[in-house]
Amino acid sequence: MKNILIGFAIAATGLAACNNSSNQTADTKQGDAKSDTAMATHQQVKQVTNDTAGTGSTPVTSVVKFPANELITGYLQLKNALAKDNSKDAAAAGNTIVATLAKVDIKSLSDKQTNGYRDIADDMKEHGEHIGANAGKIDHQREHFEMLSKDMADFIKTFGNGGQTLYKDFCPMVNDGKGAIWISEVKEIKNPYLGSQMPDCGTVKETIK
Amino acid sequence: MALLVVFIAIQFIQPAHNKSKELLATDFNKLFAVPDTVTAILQNACYDCHSNNSGYPWYSNIQPMAWMMARHIKNGKEELNFNEFGSYTSRRQISKLMGIANQIKDDEMPLSSYKMMHKKANLTKEEKVLIMDWMNNKADSLSANN
Ligand code: HEC
Ligand SMILES: [Cu+2]
Repeated sequence: MKNILIGFAIAATGLAACNNSSNQTADTKQGDAKSDTAMATHQQVKQVTNDTAGTGSTPVTSVVKFPANELITGYLQLKNALAKDNSKDAAAAGNTIVATLAKVDIKSLSDKQTNGYRDIADDMKEHGEHIGANAGKIDHQREHFEMLSKDMADFIKTFGNGGQTLYKDFCPMVNDGKGAIWISEVKEIKNPYLGSQMPDCGTVKETIK
Repeated sequence: MALLVVFIAIQFIQPAHNKSKELLATDFNKLFAVPDTVTAILQNACYDCHSNNSGYPWYSNIQPMAWMMARHIKNGKEELNFNEFGSYTSRRQISKLMGIANQIKDDEMPLSSYKMMHKKANLTKEEKVLIMDWMNNKADSLSANN
């Protein structure tokens, strides 16, 4: 009998430990009337310029309507919430990213784009879900944010910067000394991994025009 | 008394077991050359919830433990399945490898309820470091290849 009681107690803790599991997002396929033309413009090669070497290069004229802009906006909201140590706003932004991804009409992409997009989007979706589900656990949100930032950097390389100048920043002090990157819309450093602990750790590694 | 009746009644409702001996091409150990030491730790501490083949101890036949386990296995496998690791894109494989290292570093995995019942799942510091280093190195080498 004692064993069974212990079993119950453990069952209770187990259930409590597990309650933030899956928050499934419906994969609604919403046809976006504009996306056909918008995606066609993706074919234009986007250029990522280095701050130092970039003077002579043509800036990217991005007229991409979807999903670049919306996704980048969601990501930047997340980044800014983390920089302010605001776990709740970060969760909201994580959910926004998931919702935006659910709107993408894969069929409007070319085959080549589809492969690249799927790979990035699947990963982004998972990180977005975990960030959304973990309000109050900012350390865990930041772990997912690190991986999401790599996805975002690759996303911008493939699909452009949505027409806005972005910065790729790097802080060597996080992640057990391995460092980590993030994407920002402002030149000034506002570290999303350390927040108020050390807001100015980092340097601009790349300017994406 | 009513509680006891309910307790006995629910014993007859048992979820299906998660047991498959099939070795899939997508298996973690087919994908990577994993040292035996690492495999042993993962099998002892993680496979009950993150593979297609769970161990079922005595209490797993007592409700509500059986339901709780089934839930852990379902949610755990959705998150990470070592037998189907190869079905993830390379980008997600990298994320999962880093996620494993992070979960162990943060002491989030294995679940604490599980550690109470499974001594072998209480990893020593050395075991944790071994797993974290291996996962992080693997993630780095996969990233470098992309
Ligand atoms: C008792 C079952 C159980 C055991 C044992 C277990 N896990 Fe889990 N694991 C889960 C469940 C359930 C989830 C999903 C919900 C959650 O995060 O709590 C999960 C989630 C995860 C995640 C994703 C976490 C995130 O939020 O990013 C990783 C990575 C993971 N487990 C790794 C491991 C590793 C590595 C081990 C062994 C050292 C392990 N787990 C042992 C049940 C288990
Ligand atoms: Cu998570």
